[in-house]
Amino acid sequence: MKNPVTADRGEQQYLRYIRDKTNQLLKVMGTEALREEELDDQALIGLDPIGTIAESFSHILDYLNETISELRVAKDELQAIFDATGVGISIIDKDYRILRCNEKQRAMLLPGADDVSGCYCYDAYGKRSAPIATCPAKETFATGRQAVTREIIKQGKYFQVVTTPFAWDEDGKVTTVIEVSLDITEKKMAELAEKEQREYYLNEKSKLATVLESLSEGLLVVDSSNRVLSLNRCAANILGHDESRIAGKLLPEALPGPAFMYDTPREIINGFKLPYIAPDGAERHLSVNMAPLLDSGTKWIGRVITFHDITEEKKQQELYHRTEKLTALGQLSAGVAHELNTPLGSILGYARLLLKQENLTQQQREQLAVIAEQAKKSSTIIKALLSFSSHGKPKQCRLAECDLNSVIKNAVCLLTTELVKRRIKLVTETTTLPKVCADAWGIEQVVLNLAMNALQAIGNQGEIIIRTAFHPGRVRLEVRDSGPGIPKEIQNRIFDPFFTTKPLGEGTGLGLSICAGILNENGGTIDIASSDSTGTTFVVILPSKESLDA
Amino acid sequence: MSPAKISPRVIELDILGQVCPACLLVVLKQINENLEDLRNKNSQLLVRTDHRDTTRTVPAAATKMGIAVTVRKVATYYEILIGGQL
Repeated sequence: MKNPVTADRGEQQYLRYIRDKTNQLLKVMGTEALREEELDDQALIGLDPIGTIAESFSHILDYLNETISELRVAKDELQAIFDATGVGISIIDKDYRILRCNEKQRAMLLPGADDVSGCYCYDAYGKRSAPIATCPAKETFATGRQAVTREIIKQGKYFQVVTTPFAWDEDGKVTTVIEVSLDITEKKMAELAEKEQREYYLNEKSKLATVLESLSEGLLVVDSSNRVLSLNRCAANILGHDESRIAGKLLPEALPGPAFMYDTPREIINGFKLPYIAPDGAERHLSVNMAPLLDSGTKWIGRVITFHDITEEKKQQELYHRTEKLTALGQLSAGVAHELNTPLGSILGYARLLLKQENLTQQQREQLAVIAEQAKKSSTIIKALLSFSSHGKPKQCRLAECDLNSVIKNAVCLLTTELVKRRIKLVTETTTLPKVCADAWGIEQVVLNLAMNALQAIGNQGEIIIRTAFHPGRVRLEVRDSGPGIPKEIQNRIFDPFFTTKPLGEGTGLGLSICAGILNENGGTIDIASSDSTGTTFVVILPSKESLDA
Repeated sequence: MSPAKISPRVIELDILGQVCPACLLVVLKQINENLEDLRNKNSQLLVRTDHRDTTRTVPAAATKMGIAVTVRKVATYYEILIGGQL
């Protein structure tokens, strides 16, 4: 039979055990112990506290296991991402030791290395003994913020590096950083190659610009709508405008010419002779070449126009033709003059001889006087012809050092009577000149001839200015009259032999052609500088002696 | 047309006047009995308690089991709503 006292004590002990274990479990649960007055024994047993807490622990454990599994999967996923990402990732502690790095980082910077954990990052990645000044990890440790370095060289490769704080100590100091490195070597190489190429093109462009600027030909580049895109300095000089005034203009405005120049933009034009009036009114002659401009794909994109000033060349050509003509005429004239000179001498001689006879009638005397006078006049023409022909022939000229101003002075003396008679004022504006090496008599003839022409052009009352000037290597003589000017259409013929504007019988038309011949022999030139209703200016150029000596 | 939303069954547990840890044991017993429904939010356990410590111990235990908990103060007591996954 069961002892009730023993049984009651046993039950008490059992309940105490239950309460103690329950309190032990509750403590684990983070709460305080049960008080008996709150939950009596019967209610306690009814709640099955140990079973309840054990079941709860079981649920907690299940949930913990689930969470651990999920974390493991997440960790594996993160590891896969860590290793598979296209950037290098390192986790670095505050002593710059590598805690971990991913496969990409290893492959980029440490091929062949098994494990770099514990190595210093500056040593492993950069073969350096300390972090560099621009080290982003250094900045992140110092500032606690993300740092970016756009370009850092590691193992000869270029990287863009970002460091981000990863862990902090109790004081909030960064203890670990994640360093993400993006290999930009290819991009950098491409940039360097592009830079090199750009520099090459800029150099080439500069060279081309220098070549174009140094060209002695004018150059215009126009687009497909004939608008001037660019031009060189020579083009601006020839056209007589600033470069800025020509760029952007349409070609017909920049270089006026016949319509075909603009209507056939794809054709090649070579050596087209184009007269051009410069902004100062001077007429120039240009030789123009045009060629289509193609891009690299042979697409037509515009035209290149080159041109040069052939005004001087044209003048030289005209002079050459004139000289040739003079030579031919000179030879002809010499023959004719020689043939006529002897019979003319006889006519004049006999006419004078007959005039000395006393038994002549008045009419006979007058007729003989006419014969003598006409024969003398013819003789003058013959002399002029002979003089002209002598200048057309190549011969050894007797050149000597002389002063052009003295030559002018001598010539002017001979004109005094005529000037007074015609009430013409002659002004000489001379300047000190270097000596010229010339035939003084011939040059005096030239001055006299030009002055006489000026007198005849003025008629009565007017002014003649004879001016001298010195330019490097040459002296210049100007003879300006206040006459009516020479019509433009005959200006290019006035140096032709026998060309005259004077009434029949008053001029031989040989004066200016003889002047041209004399100057040609003396190495000089003669030309009309200007001629309009206010008068005409002739210009004579002679080389200075120094220039010939040099 | 989206499926009709089914409202969870609400199991009300009035433990006003009781104190911890007795309250915790009562709530744990209910959670153990309805764990899956509570996690799936087929059921929600609405606990009414006026013992402040319960608002700490119950959420701590429930969240360790992976169940969401919200606590709000209503007049003179607290309502602890247990149900749904974390």
